[in-house]
Amino acid sequence: MLTKFETKSNRVKGLSFHSKRPWILASLHSGVIQLWDYRMGTLIDRFDEHDGPVRGVHFHQSQPLFVSGGDDYKIKIWRMNDTKAWEVDTLRGHMNNVSCVLFHARQDIIVSNSEDKSIRVWDATKRTGLQTFRREHDRFWILGCHPEMNLLAAGHDSGMIVFKLERERPAFSVSGDSLYFVKDRFLRFYDYTSQKDTQILPIRRPGSISLNQGPRTLCYSPTENAILICSDVDGGSYELYIIPKDSITRGDTVQEAKRGVGGSAVFVARNRFAVLEKSTNQVLVKNLKNEIVKKSALPVAADAIFYAGTGNLLCRAEDRVFIFDLQQRLVLGDLQTSFVRYVVWSSDMESVALLSKHSIIIADKKLVHRCTLHETIRVKSGSWDDNGVFIYTTLTHIKYCLPNGDSGIIKTLDVPVYITKIFGNTLFYLDRDGKNRPIVIDSTEYVFKLSLLKKRFDHVMSMIRNSELCGQAMIAYLQQKGFPEVALHFVKDERTRFNLALESGNIQIAVASAKEIDEKDHWYRLGVEALRQGNSGIVEYAYQRTKNFERLSFLYLITGNLDKLSKMMKISEVKNDVMGQFHNALYLGDVQERIKILVNAGHLHLAYATAKTHGLNDIVEDLADKLNGSVPNLPSGRSSSLLICPTPVLCGGDWPLLRTMKGIFEGGLDNAGKGGNEEYEDAADADWGEELDIVDVENIQNGDISMVPDDEEAHEDNEEGGWDLEDLELPPDVETPKAATSRSSVFVAPTAGMPVSQIWVQKSSLAAEHAAAGNFDTAMRLLSRQLGIKNFTPLKSLFIDLHMGSHSYLRAFSSAPLISLAIERGWSESASPNVRAPPALVFSFSQLEEKLKAGYKATTTGKFTEALRLFLSILHTIPLIVVESRREVDEVKELIIIVKEYVLGLQMELKRRELRDNPVRQQELAAYFTHCNLQLPHLRLALMNAMTVCYKAGNLITASNFARRLLETNPTAENQTKTARSVMQAAERNMKDSTQLNYDFRNPFVVCGATYVPIYRGQKDVLCPGRIRCFRLTVFSSSDQMIHKSFLQSYQSQFFSLNVSGFRSRVEDFCLVADVLCCYIREPITLNCRLDFGYEFSFWRFDIQIFVFLEFVEIWCRLKTVTVVWHSQSGVGL
Amino acid sequence: MAGAPDLLFGLRNNFYLGAFQAAINSGDVQNLSEEDAIERDCLIYRSYIALGSYQLVINEIDSSAATPLQAVKLLALYLLSTDNKETVISSIREWLSEAAIGNNPILRLIAGIIFMHEQDYNEALKYTNAGGTMELNALNVQIFLKMHRSDYTEKQLRIMQQIDEDHTLTQLATAWLNLAVGGSKIQEAYLIFQDFSEKYQMTSLVLNGKAVCCMHMGNFDEAESFLLEALNKDAKDPETLANLVVCSLHLGKSSSRFLSQLKLSHPEHMLVKRGSTAEESFDRAVQTV
Repeated sequence: MLTKFETKSNRVKGLSFHSKRPWILASLHSGVIQLWDYRMGTLIDRFDEHDGPVRGVHFHQSQPLFVSGGDDYKIKIWRMNDTKAWEVDTLRGHMNNVSCVLFHARQDIIVSNSEDKSIRVWDATKRTGLQTFRREHDRFWILGCHPEMNLLAAGHDSGMIVFKLERERPAFSVSGDSLYFVKDRFLRFYDYTSQKDTQILPIRRPGSISLNQGPRTLCYSPTENAILICSDVDGGSYELYIIPKDSITRGDTVQEAKRGVGGSAVFVARNRFAVLEKSTNQVLVKNLKNEIVKKSALPVAADAIFYAGTGNLLCRAEDRVFIFDLQQRLVLGDLQTSFVRYVVWSSDMESVALLSKHSIIIADKKLVHRCTLHETIRVKSGSWDDNGVFIYTTLTHIKYCLPNGDSGIIKTLDVPVYITKIFGNTLFYLDRDGKNRPIVIDSTEYVFKLSLLKKRFDHVMSMIRNSELCGQAMIAYLQQKGFPEVALHFVKDERTRFNLALESGNIQIAVASAKEIDEKDHWYRLGVEALRQGNSGIVEYAYQRTKNFERLSFLYLITGNLDKLSKMMKISEVKNDVMGQFHNALYLGDVQERIKILVNAGHLHLAYATAKTHGLNDIVEDLADKLNGSVPNLPSGRSSSLLICPTPVLCGGDWPLLRTMKGIFEGGLDNAGKGGNEEYEDAADADWGEELDIVDVENIQNGDISMVPDDEEAHEDNEEGGWDLEDLELPPDVETPKAATSRSSVFVAPTAGMPVSQIWVQKSSLAAEHAAAGNFDTAMRLLSRQLGIKNFTPLKSLFIDLHMGSHSYLRAFSSAPLISLAIERGWSESASPNVRAPPALVFSFSQLEEKLKAGYKATTTGKFTEALRLFLSILHTIPLIVVESRREVDEVKELIIIVKEYVLGLQMELKRRELRDNPVRQQELAAYFTHCNLQLPHLRLALMNAMTVCYKAGNLITASNFARRLLETNPTAENQTKTARSVMQAAERNMKDSTQLNYDFRNPFVVCGATYVPIYRGQKDVLCPGRIRCFRLTVFSSSDQMIHKSFLQSYQSQFFSLNVSGFRSRVEDFCLVADVLCCYIREPITLNCRLDFGYEFSFWRFDIQIFVFLEFVEIWCRLKTVTVVWHSQSGVGL
Repeated sequence: MAGAPDLLFGLRNNFYLGAFQAAINSGDVQNLSEEDAIERDCLIYRSYIALGSYQLVINEIDSSAATPLQAVKLLALYLLSTDNKETVISSIREWLSEAAIGNNPILRLIAGIIFMHEQDYNEALKYTNAGGTMELNALNVQIFLKMHRSDYTEKQLRIMQQIDEDHTLTQLATAWLNLAVGGSKIQEAYLIFQDFSEKYQMTSLVLNGKAVCCMHMGNFDEAESFLLEALNKDAKDPETLANLVVCSLHLGKSSSRFLSQLKLSHPEHMLVKRGSTAEESFDRAVQTV
């Protein structure tokens, strides 16, 4: 023993080291406490405050404090500084000698025990008693405290106890991908995907000082963002917090929670929670304002309630749990259980796990018992994985439980954890410090077993292939669970393989194994199994291998294999096996042979009898001679004859077996053929152009033309749609007597209010919205005024669709008429009720874009009529499109320009096809078509087309011009290039045009949409009032020139009053404006613009203004070649 | 709020949520008081009416049956053929004026339904406004909605909430009103239908409710999936077809199949009528412009 320091104090009863300084406390029987410096060997101080012996002293771990307890029944707390110590307080309460006293390692409490048979817990700061634990007969002598964990130990007369003072399980609730839990005084939120832990709000500190008053359970309602926290305060109470939606408060201010008393409280619907009132055995259903909505008496006295699906409660009674439906007031199911501590529902609410201290019961949603697991170690927590496996923890292990009750260990634990959620093989848990942690568990074993259980053999097989999971335990498991064929795949050892193969009836594998083993016993067993299966080939093989001739003979007999049977007879003869020979002869029915054998064996009497019986008279005589007359006396009166052996009906062969699907385990499973999903754009039926019979040119192929759609999907930035709604309230209550609601004898029915559609009409100046509301006449008037449309027939179906799509239908009360509800546009979560938004329209810009794509596709495949129909329908729909932003206006404008070109082009192409007998006109139209602004692939096709037509008509120069243009587009298709080249070569050899066309490709032109005649630049535009790019007006009617005129007139009157000289002749440019007018901007902005040549004008609509203005600028520049300076007052940039 | 189990709860719930066949099937409830038995029969016969089996109801209810059942029979007669309208209305007026039976809630309810069909809301309210049962209150809610008077609807709803906030009809009526006033309330309506679909069996009524909410929130894709689910359950449900027409229009899909199905099976449906009046008014408007 290495003695560091020794004192001569009297009967030291208690000792305690200081954690840092070289100090030790010694308490003496005399009542004195001594503080020593053991390094210096000096007594620092002595305290004489206790009466009688002091048995326990203890330094605080971090603070300058110590406690002492003595036979004066008192506990004293001492404070000290560097030089001295003094008594701070005395704790009184023990009724006998204090044996031991110490500071708790983790909590601010003092624990003491005494000969009065009690352990007492004291608040170290407030110095008051918190709690007392008593034993009946045992005096306490000693206490120990774990340096890190929350554990204490106490020794008493008959043994010792290890205990802890407070529950360490954090209250938590899982909701979707997140976890709500309480740590210290805060409600926290943990997001499983980001693994982020956030503090949400502070919760109330328990008012009372006693132990175990912290939150016990937590319940969360996701839709309402409400949290219920239950604790044991006041004998069971709850607090209801609403988590503020916008912010996660970091502050320390405790929200004024709604409180109440009750055994337990859980949400039963998104905005209802149930509270158990134990005294009356009632469940109170409350709303989020903490008001009682309903009371329901429980049929059986319950001491706790748990969630059990909407409107249902799982109630815990003394020896059972039951599910109670709060609305029907019915018990839906019950189950005898031990004391259930926790309830864990699977995410689909189909299964529930009831956790008791030492057992787990799995049941379904009606509490029909599925299985029970017993654990020797305490069960702590659990959660369902996605596959329906229940994963749970005990103090020491993470384990699984399959739906059939099989369980096993996944992992060993060092410290207890509380599982909160499982994603695949990642398990999330809360530890006792309230930290969330993920761990990856090896789920192979239970997933494998589960797959087996669910008979998902493909899964099993792939697991076998890919993982190294194996071992005797698994084989035993498989065998025991009736899956020998699966086990077969794990086993290398031939004997085991053989056994498993026999067990699973897999003869092939058994034969292979038997060959390897080559032992008699195994061959024999193989034979037996093969015989059972009727596989005579294998049986024969097995018998042959073991040289089991008797069995072999018998097998040949029963399978009718007489050839082999006679061979067997020969073999027996060779082997001198008389008995075998005789048997075989008997089997074969060969009487002579039998007699021969009998004779050879010396059984002449028997031979004689045999011969006699079968009527072989010459042999009989021969034998009679040999027997010298001592012939046996045979019964007479029977006719003797030879045996006629039955011919086998079926010879040899295995038993016919049913053709079964080869089990997944037998065949390979890599036959997962890949179904090629070809998706070719089918352009086979393309109707582009005719054949061009140039020597080395085949058909024009369109099959490989890839469409180049304009993918630039401009996204709409949803600017505030400026519906400045001047809150048009519903009509005020017409003077109605207020008492009209109920129990009044005079009831005056209210006058009907205003339907939403009427409100739409009042608020809107958009034709589409009027049409949706069903006010077609005002809609038409609007269109007529705004766009000059006169012919509405093409719009009929569009109007009706708008109107039909404006309301939804709700069946309310059975057999009563329907309610139709106005569907409004631009809904948002925050929209206030009762404020009417404009109607939702069935046509949208994005639909038109889809149509445009379809139109392109139809054009590519040469379905021109279909394409034209699509493009026209786009143009027809545009007047009824409502867009919300300038960007969209631009897009609509762009769309009009694109579609317009296609409409004109396609109309010309269709016209060309009608004119088969007019080659000149045909060429002209094909040529004009190439000047429409088309997508590149379409342009190439149009050029090919024009080239072909011209070439055929002998207009080689023109054709070569098209060929050149075609080559300039860098065609991707090989044959296009080839054709174009050869056309150019042909033209070079012979530069001439055989016919004159009205087509001058050098001079820019536009094509009249009505007559398809080019109007060249420089030509007087006024020349033909009817021919001025009228095609744009085909929007509304392709033939009705009257519309055209009235359209122009209306715009002339509106805009031309400006009387800008030189503009009048450029009427057609306003057609573009008219196109643009089709799209509307919400909230017209009036903008005054001034051209510097002195004209000032303002437009009533912002959108019109912009484009008209642009047009003006453009025209002005073109005509006068002057720069135009302009500015806007409102600062809207152009 | 008595502690006794509510034996007709399931039946009533099924009926309100449009699970009519389930309501009929769950009608076999034992140990009912006489009053409850009449209620049960009424619910079952009304379920048959909702399924369109008018003649069955007319045949099975004989003249000795209790007043409520007679009223149900009148409803069947009314819906069976337009020829019966006048006789039905005159007899219901006559019964309502009789002091002994005039106050019967079922009779008043049926009167309310019939006058609603007649679009005479004042007359309907004359009998239903006093309330008395949850059903009458719910009908009032619907009448006020039809009259576009959400202020009155709200008052009526408040009465229902005071009686039993969690009652299926209260919840349904709340959803109706929420849908009618729109805005942020639509989400609440959706949650109500969502609750129903979680708690009880999915019916086309509930699915349609969800779909209508989605449509009003501008989510036509989701609405379509609900409606197709509803169509799977009942391929002839007129509301499903009507809402599918509306939904397809908004999705830019062809709606003609659903529309012609609806026209064939329910030529009197509101949507069909809306379409035909729209055509007429279009032709008329073209003349005037």
